[in-house]
Amino acid sequence: MVTARRAARPGILWGLVFGGTVAATMTQYSSLFPDAASRARLALSVQGNAGFEALFGKIHAIDTVAGYTAYKTLFTLMVLGAIWGLLLATRVTRGEEDAGRWELLRSGRTTAAGAAAQAAAGLGAGVVCLWLPTATFAMWAGGADKVGVGAGPALYFATAAVAGAAMFMGIGLAAGQLAPTRHDANVIGAGVMAASYLVRMVADSDASLGWLRWASPFGWIEELRPLTGSHPAAFVPVVVLVAASVAVALAVAARRDLGASALAGRDTPPARTFLLSGQAGLTIRLTRATVVVWLLALAGTGLVFGLVTQAAGNAAKGSATLERVIARLGASGAGAVVYLGFVFLMAAGMVAIAVAGQVAALRNEEATGHLDNLLVRRVARWRWLAARLAVGVGLVVLASAAAGLAAWVGAASQHAAVGFGDLLVAGLNVAPPAVFVLGIGCLVFGIRPRAAVAVTYGLVVWSFLVEIVASVVDSGQWLRDTSPLLHIAPAPAADPNWTAAGWLVGLGALAALAGIAAFSRRDLQGA
Amino acid sequence: MGDPAIRVEGLSKTYGDTRALDSLDLEVAPGEVIGYLGPNGAGKTTTIRLLLGLIRATAGRAEIFGIDCQERPVDAHARVAYVPGEVNLWPSLTGTETLHVLGRVHGTVDVAYRDVLLQRFEFDPGKKVRAYSKGNRQKLILIAGLMTRADLLLLDEPTSGLDPLMERAFRDCVAEARQRGQTVFLSSHILSEVEALCDRIAILRSGRLVEVGTLAEMRHLSALHVEADLDAAVPDLSAVAGVTAVEVEGTRLRCQVTGPMEPLLSALAPAGVRHLVSREPSLEELFLVHYGGTGAP
Repeated sequence: MVTARRAARPGILWGLVFGGTVAATMTQYSSLFPDAASRARLALSVQGNAGFEALFGKIHAIDTVAGYTAYKTLFTLMVLGAIWGLLLATRVTRGEEDAGRWELLRSGRTTAAGAAAQAAAGLGAGVVCLWLPTATFAMWAGGADKVGVGAGPALYFATAAVAGAAMFMGIGLAAGQLAPTRHDANVIGAGVMAASYLVRMVADSDASLGWLRWASPFGWIEELRPLTGSHPAAFVPVVVLVAASVAVALAVAARRDLGASALAGRDTPPARTFLLSGQAGLTIRLTRATVVVWLLALAGTGLVFGLVTQAAGNAAKGSATLERVIARLGASGAGAVVYLGFVFLMAAGMVAIAVAGQVAALRNEEATGHLDNLLVRRVARWRWLAARLAVGVGLVVLASAAAGLAAWVGAASQHAAVGFGDLLVAGLNVAPPAVFVLGIGCLVFGIRPRAAVAVTYGLVVWSFLVEIVASVVDSGQWLRDTSPLLHIAPAPAADPNWTAAGWLVGLGALAALAGIAAFSRRDLQGA
Repeated sequence: MGDPAIRVEGLSKTYGDTRALDSLDLEVAPGEVIGYLGPNGAGKTTTIRLLLGLIRATAGRAEIFGIDCQERPVDAHARVAYVPGEVNLWPSLTGTETLHVLGRVHGTVDVAYRDVLLQRFEFDPGKKVRAYSKGNRQKLILIAGLMTRADLLLLDEPTSGLDPLMERAFRDCVAEARQRGQTVFLSSHILSEVEALCDRIAILRSGRLVEVGTLAEMRHLSALHVEADLDAAVPDLSAVAGVTAVEVEGTRLRCQVTGPMEPLLSALAPAGVRHLVSREPSLEELFLVHYGGTGAP
């Protein structure tokens, strides 16, 4: 049972994360909202808020620990579980097949359907491994005096929380048999996931559309109503979906050849050469899909920030923690603007991750040998690297602006009092740290290409971690100063710090120039 | 065109303690077809990557048509087409798209010749690179190189993965290139290919050039293989000048002779020579001699 072993370990690890999240949320509630008044204030600010409900589903009984836990964790856990389940299912089936390892397995005495059934059973074991820690933690934390969630509801909740993983494992299993490659199987699964999410979002936007929840796997989980009035009938479509997916997977596996697929792969598309008139155009062609995905992700994040601005701003008024963090970052005030100033730091982190991905992509061009094809022709090294960096800078600027603009759209729809210009500037304000990251990535690529990916991602991760580390070791400001993310002002809660932004961009540009110079004079290095 | 197609002086490349290429001197005239031989790891690919400026020389210099390969690689590349033995193309591009973009970044393409090549190699350019077999990817990169009609073709084991029919098509292409006056630098370990195509041969061993010359010159310098049937037992040949690798089976003799045949013939005459054949060594035998192999019997 190779699959079971490969599913069990991550299953238990994710189960610990799930359980830990649930237990922490339950325990937190009584300290965050100690009395009836604070709970009533929370209910007032959150319940019935269209932005929150679009994101997290209908909110019930938020003034109880059970309702708060369901609202805070169920949505996140179901989506995380679904993503994990999908990726794992396609990896242990189509991924193994792409890598040629199923041929070994199949050349033994296993039939095609048998191998798929083994994979399904292994994935089932993975779901159980996910459920066990989740259920254990939920029962343990729920049993505390101040929390008072019974064992029955806790187990029911844990089951609902892993239902997303189970369903999308099934979908991944079926997609893995239908699609020609693992990548395509993931795209199919992600499409189903996005559609499920959107349908549920629409269903929760208006009471008259509530029936639409029954058309979405995520809607079913919401209909289960764990901790806030159980509705076990909603398990029926969940079980039917899992069973049907497995049945489809087994049937297709039995009928097709190894390596072939039921859905024809698009291996013979018509040639599209309009971008391919030079290396810069080729770079755009090779990176555009990633760039578009990041732009959509940042715009989506910005939109969500905007939608919840008004409500979150009201809730944040009572939060001493949030105000303390914002104050240290150099802003003051309260309400929606403070909330946005805080969350745009997260957007800054996302843009930095996106641009680190561009550094990884350009290093990958060299490591795979693809770059040789250009550099043995009439392409100067500096031109190629400059085009790659231009794509990176373009991604940073567009993604930052998209986050700001989408946040404005969201906020305006909720009648929050934040201006268009302020949010556009707040968006662009997150660009300088990412430009700095890109420059450092380019420098390391020029000097130590094999270390470039690790150093660049490491820099981004460090930028996040340093806030936590610094608060633990209490080293003062110098440690925080090593994080490019913490040099920007929390716009729109404060005016952008143009001096710091200028330094970040200037140092990034210098590092990039040094990187280009070093790259022009070194050996190309494979993986 | 007074400059040689390739001029290499004292070219060296060191990785840590490993000398991948040790002070190589080589000159290739325009229009020449030269075979570059050596076992795996001898430094063939290192030489070509230095010529292309993909790696930096530790010492020495390399020129293509008088242009310094390390200082002005882009100018040098205008005169060069390179075909690698290991093909790494963008998997998401189709064959047509690949040929289009590689042609554009090279500059000039003989479109009519490209179409001839597509037919000759029976290559369907409509698929994505990821859907091609290894042999088809090799055809694609070969067509991308040949279609430029560049003055110098740098070919690094260009036929790996091709079937015998396609190998033959490749030989036709090299013959055409020679007729058009293109220079061909063919790195290979397929000896029959080199024997059939090349005017001159350079043999590399552990990063050092051990032999350069025409096949005829090399044969001349090497031992002849001799087989003889005698009437009586084979006499003792240990003192005979130029005779080595003696094998005796009753009245049958096999040996190798370097230099004149006269001493051997004189030594054998008393035993009565019934039958004697001598032949020049094949390239394979020459090659094996240089690598400490036992040589053919």
